[in-house]
Amino acid sequence: MSSNALLELRDVGKVFGETVALEPTSLEVTEGSFVAIVGPSGCGKSTLFNVIAGLLRPDSGEVLLSDQAVTGATGHVGYMLQKDLLVPWRTVEDNITMAARLTRRVTNEDRAEARRVARQYGLGEFLRHYPSALSGGMRQRVAFMRTLVTHQSLLLLDEPFGALDAQTRLDMQQWLLQVWKDTGRTVLFITHDVDESIFLSDRILVMSPRPGRVVADFVNPLVRPRDVATLTDPGFIELKSRVMGLLHGRAQ
Amino acid sequence: MKRNVARNVGIPILSLVLLLLVWQWIVTGFHVAPYIAPRPLQAIQAVTQNWAILWPLVLGTIRETVYGFVCGAALGLFLGVVMAKVQVLQRLVYPVLILSQAVPIIALAAPLVLILGFSVTPKVVIVAWIVFFPVTVNVLDGLSHVDQDLINLARVYGAPRWRTFIQIEIPASTTPLFSGLKIGATYAVTGAIIGELAASNGSSLALYQEHANSNLNTAAVYGTTMLMTAIGISWFLLVVGTEVLVTPWQRRSVARRRVFHREAEPSAPEAGH
Repeated sequence: MSSNALLELRDVGKVFGETVALEPTSLEVTEGSFVAIVGPSGCGKSTLFNVIAGLLRPDSGEVLLSDQAVTGATGHVGYMLQKDLLVPWRTVEDNITMAARLTRRVTNEDRAEARRVARQYGLGEFLRHYPSALSGGMRQRVAFMRTLVTHQSLLLLDEPFGALDAQTRLDMQQWLLQVWKDTGRTVLFITHDVDESIFLSDRILVMSPRPGRVVADFVNPLVRPRDVATLTDPGFIELKSRVMGLLHGRAQ
Repeated sequence: MKRNVARNVGIPILSLVLLLLVWQWIVTGFHVAPYIAPRPLQAIQAVTQNWAILWPLVLGTIRETVYGFVCGAALGLFLGVVMAKVQVLQRLVYPVLILSQAVPIIALAAPLVLILGFSVTPKVVIVAWIVFFPVTVNVLDGLSHVDQDLINLARVYGAPRWRTFIQIEIPASTTPLFSGLKIGATYAVTGAIIGELAASNGSSLALYQEHANSNLNTAAVYGTTMLMTAIGISWFLLVVGTEVLVTPWQRRSVARRRVFHREAEPSAPEAGH
């Protein structure tokens, strides 16, 4: 029970029928860190997320958040998917305050915070726009702000930029690093883009399917702040070749 | 904006005018006798000249249509929600619903009069009977197709089910709900007229028309038909107008400024409370 672990998994496993979606897995995530999870589809990353989020009850093991058992309970994390899941009938401002609206009355502070966050991160002009008027990148930003104002210290991001074009994705990654630095949240970030996982994270978990499990745990040594030049840094290339080797079965 | 108005209002009106012109052209061009088919103007005159008699009848038909529609829509919405939420009820009730619509509504009118008499009630029941079905089917369909990921997201936030229902599932179903209401609106007047035919002992628009028909007053028959149609179209337009009002996001990219919860604009987070 290390004092600075925000999230701790103890032998968390999940089986669907005959398929072992997730082998019993233990994991500690340090407060304020950015952990990337890479792996092919079917490796159990989304199962892992759904267990942590409380959407799935694991068959075995325990989920602890700040040393409190939250196994199978919801309402403890921020959560964001590749689909932005903005509701078309609400404006940007009202989409950002959605979590509040779903759990209690929306207060003036909630709205003021939504406006402040939107202005700070470049969407102040669009507060009264409906999502249909926004580009894919802007929609994902709104979805992320909605996650941010839940004030959960742990954010689960499941391929949030997976549907964006390469240029927008790079912009969004840099933007995310900025927000992460400003807010000091702990991020678990699923992706199958190895470049993305290295560019963003402090630590990379590589997962593998059948049965779904964590096969490697890399510390990412690249210095921050990172920018486009990081992508061609020798350290980046080296880490990338190790992760790629694991993912594609060419052990080095 | 002006262009849109011209296109959305002007063209439908033009199509009505064209319809009347074609009617006029056929009747005069083929020298159709007035007791077979009147000219449009004759039909309109048959209405305007008897307006004092017709107006209360029109009001009666409108009342039956509106009462029936409101009851039918409420029942339809209720059934749709209950059936979407309780699987067992869905299996249990669905066959009965289909049965209710397979019964010829005319055949139903006579027993309804026996039970409910000649009041406004049997007409309201017939209208509601017709209206509720498309509403139920569409609401049920809409509620069962709400994005499961969105519902899961609400769960992750720790939202209670009733809030998820009100904040997510209901608004996500507004489009199918209004599809059902629009179908119901077009059939509502038909239901009211069927009710009037089967269950009127005094005066009603349908009986007035029947009377005109037996007197070979064809212009009045056409005129009353136009009146009935006008009631149907007006009601449909009212439903469409309501949809436009309550779903602004479907045609606007920016919300109108809301007057409530308006504070000092570039407000600091500590403002309020």
